[in-house]
Amino acid sequence: MSDGGEAEGTRDEQNGSNLRSGDGDYSRAISRVAMAQICEGVGFEGFNESALDSLVDIAIRYVCELGKTTRFYANSAGRTGCNIFDVVQGLEDLGKPLGFTGASEVHTDCVVSSGAIREIKEYVDMADEVPFAQPVPQFPVIRERRMIPSFLQMGETPAFKHVPQWLPAFPDAHTYVRTPVWNERLSDPRTDKIELARQHRKAERSLLNLQQRLVCNGSSVATTSAEPCNGGNGSGVNNNGNLSLEKPLEAEDIGVSRVSIPPKLSSQAQTEKQVSLLETFAPAIEAMKDGLDSGSDGEKTFPEKRDSVFLELKGGKKVFGEPLDLKIRKAVGRTSSWFGHEGEKDDKKRRVEFILRQSLENQQELPQLIDNVVCFSPFLEFGGLVLEELQLEGYESSAMLQPHQNFLDSPLPQMHWCCRPLEPKMVFCEEEEETNMSLWRTQDNFLRHQEQVIKHATWN
Amino acid sequence: MNGQSSHQQPKDGRHDDDTALTEFLASLMDYTPTIPDELVEHYLAKSGFQCPDTRLTRLVAVATQKFIADVATDALQQCKARPAVIKDKRDKQQKEKRLILTMEDLSKALREYGVNVKHQEYFADTPTAGLDPATRDE
Repeated sequence: MSDGGEAEGTRDEQNGSNLRSGDGDYSRAISRVAMAQICEGVGFEGFNESALDSLVDIAIRYVCELGKTTRFYANSAGRTGCNIFDVVQGLEDLGKPLGFTGASEVHTDCVVSSGAIREIKEYVDMADEVPFAQPVPQFPVIRERRMIPSFLQMGETPAFKHVPQWLPAFPDAHTYVRTPVWNERLSDPRTDKIELARQHRKAERSLLNLQQRLVCNGSSVATTSAEPCNGGNGSGVNNNGNLSLEKPLEAEDIGVSRVSIPPKLSSQAQTEKQVSLLETFAPAIEAMKDGLDSGSDGEKTFPEKRDSVFLELKGGKKVFGEPLDLKIRKAVGRTSSWFGHEGEKDDKKRRVEFILRQSLENQQELPQLIDNVVCFSPFLEFGGLVLEELQLEGYESSAMLQPHQNFLDSPLPQMHWCCRPLEPKMVFCEEEEETNMSLWRTQDNFLRHQEQVIKHATWN
Repeated sequence: MNGQSSHQQPKDGRHDDDTALTEFLASLMDYTPTIPDELVEHYLAKSGFQCPDTRLTRLVAVATQKFIADVATDALQQCKARPAVIKDKRDKQQKEKRLILTMEDLSKALREYGVNVKHQEYFADTPTAGLDPATRDE
């Protein structure tokens, strides 16, 4: 019936949400469904929750009682297995309160003709067959227990004589014996150093790649930028300077020349904030040009004589050479917006100032300037390119490698790159692994600071 | 079959009773009781009933089903016997109240079976619990 169906549906939900705790929850739930079905068959349309629970309790108790009584009768007969007669006797016992036909002849008559069975027969014949609503799996589900293997199975012999072999084996010694544990960490200083060096090299290599890429981007170089700054200066220098500048300009190598060449001031398409090095150093280059021109004539010797450029590779902390100082003379506005964030600049500023001071001092001493070292760390390849380029220009070049030690001692390699006399030292300073931003940032600050300083200097 | 077993002398009719019983047991296998076999087996195992024969299990299941059905029938009669509440002025709807198994009917029915189920009044599972049964509706 529809109402019964609804009730049954709600009953199912109730069964699902029945949170009565205790063992036998699953069986109770099944019993609820079964009882409800019976009641529905009888004619009920619905029931109260408590009434149904009571009915379930009674049914469960009936089954248990019947089983107990049956077992009792079987045990009384000296058996452990129950048979039909035991069940019938149990049924008679339970039916006695209500009575059934032939109850008075229970123990005298044959059990087979018992009135209880008769009643059940009648019920079976009369009642409609209402199978259980849902399929019920075999329960309770027995989990496979993992048995502890015996001595025999383990292949061990028990340590004690009184322990037979078929008993479960004793647990392993490590489960109950406490042994001290040391945290052994071998520290090999040599290995550590090698590892450190490797990491430095890795960082430097990445920086080198970056710079190469940038240099490639800034491929074209304009000579025009150099010319205006040369105006008013000694022609010799300028010419030489131009010469020195132009040749690298023409060169297309991915070498230092790229960097050293005064960059084209025209806007180069830069997808990222990393403006080409050439552009960055355009003002610097111009400034240096001017600086050189304004400096003593001694500086002009270098056009005639190309001094050797020493490329010294070491992991020093020397950040800037002069070139940046001189750069700011001209124009500096370009350096403004290249950098993303401006944190952690104090340290760099200090450094920049130091270098600026150094370079200003050194400005007058060209030979020293020339002899200044170009410090790289492992930019051997880069340095090699530089050497090539310089050789093209007729510069002697010699590379000196400092001992390996310096690498390992320094925390992070600083990379300086100096190419003289083509132009003032272009210095790339790398403070951290994040090469680009720090590099440009530093230069920006440096340039800005330079501008101020130089202004003062010139006025004075 | 039933008449035979009742009239026959127990000593002479043993044979027939036996056959009757076996036939009955055989017929039990065709009849699927509402209470599932697994459930009955579970509770029988709890109480120590050991029998691999499924016919006995079926017998127990049928017996329980009969018992519950008897109790429910009595409760139903109790429910029907209660005078119907006059809901509205329409008299025709009086007898058409829903048959709900309530604790009260159940306790009355069970009392004859020797089961005392006293439902505490303060435990209300319906909004109308505790009211006069005559005034209860549905």
